Amino acid sequence: MANNVLHVENVTMQFGGVVAVDNLSMDINEGEIVSLIGPNGAGKTTAFNCITGVYEPTNGLVEFCGKPIVRNHPQGKMKKNYLGQNPDMYLGEVVANTPDIITQQGIARTFQNIRLWKSMTVFENVLLAKHMNAKQNVFSATFRFNKKEEERMREETMELLVQQGLDKYKDEIATSLPYGLQRRLEIARALAAEPKLLLLDEPAAGMNPQETEELTAFIRQIRDDYNITIFLIEHHMNLVMDISDRIYVIEFGKEIAHGLPKEIQKNPKVIDAYLGG
Amino acid sequence: MLNEKKKLNKGSLITLIIILVFLIATIVLENTINPNSLLFTVIRKAAVYSLVAVSMNLLNGFTGLFSLGQAGFMLLGAYTYAILTIPNDVRDIIYYLFQGSSFHVSTVGFFEGILGDTGVAAFISMILGVIIAIVAGGLVAALVAYLIGLPVLRLKSDYLAIATLGFAEILRAIFQWDKLGKITNGANALRGYPTFSDFNIKAENGATVLRLSSFIPLLFAGICILVIVLLINSSYGRAFKAIRDDEVAAEAMGINLAKHKMMSFCISSFFAGVGGALFAMFASTVQAKTFTSAMTYEIFLIVVIGGIGSISGSCIASFLYIACSEWWLRFLDNTQYINGTQLPLFRNGFRMVVFSVVIMVIVLFFRDGLFGDKELPDLFKKRRVKKDGE
Amino acid sequence: MEFAVSQILSGISLGGQYALIAIGYTMVYGILRLINFAHGDVFMIAGIMMIYMATTLPLYIAIPAMIICTVLLGFLIERAAYKPLRAAPRMSVMISAIGVSYLLQNLALYITGGQPKTYPRIPWISDTVTIFGARTYVVTLVTPFLVIALVVALTLLINHTKIGIAMRAVSKDFETSQLMGVKINTVISVTFIIGSFLAAVGSVLYFTNYPTVVPMSGAMPGLKAFVAAVFGGIGSIPGAVIGAFIIGICETLIKGTDYAIFSDAFTFALLIVILVAKPTGIFGEKTTDKV
Repeated sequence: MANNVLHVENVTMQFGGVVAVDNLSMDINEGEIVSLIGPNGAGKTTAFNCITGVYEPTNGLVEFCGKPIVRNHPQGKMKKNYLGQNPDMYLGEVVANTPDIITQQGIARTFQNIRLWKSMTVFENVLLAKHMNAKQNVFSATFRFNKKEEERMREETMELLVQQGLDKYKDEIATSLPYGLQRRLEIARALAAEPKLLLLDEPAAGMNPQETEELTAFIRQIRDDYNITIFLIEHHMNLVMDISDRIYVIEFGKEIAHGLPKEIQKNPKVIDAYLGG
Repeated sequence: MLNEKKKLNKGSLITLIIILVFLIATIVLENTINPNSLLFTVIRKAAVYSLVAVSMNLLNGFTGLFSLGQAGFMLLGAYTYAILTIPNDVRDIIYYLFQGSSFHVSTVGFFEGILGDTGVAAFISMILGVIIAIVAGGLVAALVAYLIGLPVLRLKSDYLAIATLGFAEILRAIFQWDKLGKITNGANALRGYPTFSDFNIKAENGATVLRLSSFIPLLFAGICILVIVLLINSSYGRAFKAIRDDEVAAEAMGINLAKHKMMSFCISSFFAGVGGALFAMFASTVQAKTFTSAMTYEIFLIVVIGGIGSISGSCIASFLYIACSEWWLRFLDNTQYINGTQLPLFRNGFRMVVFSVVIMVIVLFFRDGLFGDKELPDLFKKRRVKKDGE
Repeated sequence: MEFAVSQILSGISLGGQYALIAIGYTMVYGILRLINFAHGDVFMIAGIMMIYMATTLPLYIAIPAMIICTVLLGFLIERAAYKPLRAAPRMSVMISAIGVSYLLQNLALYITGGQPKTYPRIPWISDTVTIFGARTYVVTLVTPFLVIALVVALTLLINHTKIGIAMRAVSKDFETSQLMGVKINTVISVTFIIGSFLAAVGSVLYFTNYPTVVPMSGAMPGLKAFVAAVFGGIGSIPGAVIGAFIIGICETLIKGTDYAIFSDAFTFALLIVILVAKPTGIFGEKTTDKV
């Protein structure tokens, strides 16, 4: 059995009276490509945000490589208004990490609506992902005592850009690139953080069929090249069915199915959710 | 500026030459033409304002934290400097309303005690004492910024602006409080400490040999600005820009927002404090009522005129702003005659009206200011024909 | 006892005056998300216009004329300085507001020649009365009632007229209202007109208590009124009014103690406490950013 990378257990995210993610559990093993699908508004991105620390889930546990990175139980006002399940399961220790800490542990992500730093070049966008792990402090960096470290960061960045075929754009302003390349750049930036697990939020959004096909190959390739695990949200069914080792389907925040792509394709619940019932 | 080796490219070189020429010209002019010329007042004040404007730009322009507390941090720097450097023998005279000061350490006196208090030794003691006090001014400002930052840096844009503005006002009230009079001299001015003119080198007989009173502020401000430029071009500077461009993405890429914002806030305040100390040297008196929110607005407008996110813009805008307000537009304040008929409108205060109209025009129609987010060296580079995206 | 009564009375009165300015801030913020730094200076200009008009015109003409001119000024500022920046980042508009504030102050400095100008004595409201043994001006007693009357009128306007509905729609969602055919520019102009009108009324009440008006007279009341607006929850009119009364009363009480120098500082300390403890103010609504 492969090593478990991400373990999500009974995660519930409630905003006011709306339960956006309802008792979601999932497991992702090393080297897998796992997809999370579901109709619009099913709570996919919210689930991502719970894993990456953008939101603090109302209840539940997330473990990364066996270590809890998020753990919470309904507190304060939520105690009374909680609509989800297992309210008493995670009492005791609360683990809440900001997104930067979670990224430092080895989870990097991209965004549904590309979030590149708009005033910076392609090179700088990728370079900055190296900032968090660099051995330097603000004084050594200002007075250039970190020359070795800075050079190392630059070399690694350049290497990555060459691998991703982005080196010829390195001095362009990131947001001036064509859309498809911006997507790629965002993935490259996430890779520069040297993650064990890469979360892709609708990587094929806005792409034409040919670009989508290229992306499929690209995702597979980065999994193999960088030896990482990939967890993605996607709407392009071709891509999902083609690429995924396993698929989780959610609707209204609840899991309705999970399994191999061919099982999912035949699952009546899934067909119902997508075609509307 | 991607490679350290490329650092001294053509643009940077030209910029460096311009700065050097300016420094040399300042020394030469000061020792040849009338040293009381308004030109030198402008240079001194503008040097101080450049530093404060650049420090504000670091925060507002590069980190995207809209703070309006600059005058408060200048106040801290100015008071710290003055309190530390007032010679002990005049201290009790200045604090006469409070029966003397409760603080009896003078950094200058300290070094004079070690090195001697005559001739060259006294001069060196003065320089060392002044530098220590300036740095102390910066440190006090940075420390207070840290304490203020803990609660307020979590606030979003305009709330942060109004909270920092509020803190500056609170600081001003505290320094005017008569219970602290033994330290701050209450609402009264502090004076008698070393100013820029003390840096003029005098011969034994008291005659001035070499005037440096305009060069020194340029030098001090220049060194500080250089440090800020180095910071901005370092890995941390890039992290600041990332926070400005997209906080969510920055955090997702492992940048600790709280830590980096605090860092930028403290560093900016440190240099604002240093700027305050230099302002004290320029003005030769320190009084809390000078450091109002109007002063912060003025500095902020300089940053806007120069271009939010441009260091060289802030510097050049400071010089233009101070030159216009103190010197070039002076004529607007005096009654003017053409062929014996008195022109209407020209009287006291007209200068500032014209000036503020010009500022409004810049704010409305030239929103990028002089430089946008470009720097002076960029102007000398061969420009690639490429327009940035929105 | 007399001292306490007079302190509380003038505190309530000052609070009422702040409330009239604060409504202008809170409404503009609600709709444009802009701290209108120039609002305090509009208030100051209203005071200065009153001084000049009262020297030539009888008061029963001067006061309405001053109010009309102030309203016009508020309207023009919006059209000239904020409207062209509608599509610009929020920071640019705020910079423009600071620029306008600077311009108005310098203009006032130029017109008055830097001399403090004596505010005209307005019959009846400048008279002194004795209440519970405390001597005070009539204006002190009138202010709270006038404020409450104006706030009630304003609330009716916002809740029951077409323009009021439009204003609420715009403050909820600027873009959607625009798409739904709400005339944004009209709504914004009306907001500024109401804000300036209230500031003009406030200036009469406020400056009657002070001997003179100087170009910086508007800055502090302006900032405090803004604090009041934040305190009550920015965007909320009742919040602004309650915040203003609290700040006005606290300020006056502190002025009566040995710590008078901290009366301004206290307001800001209160602001910081409220921002840290409950950033949305007492009546503010919580908003979340979508990632």
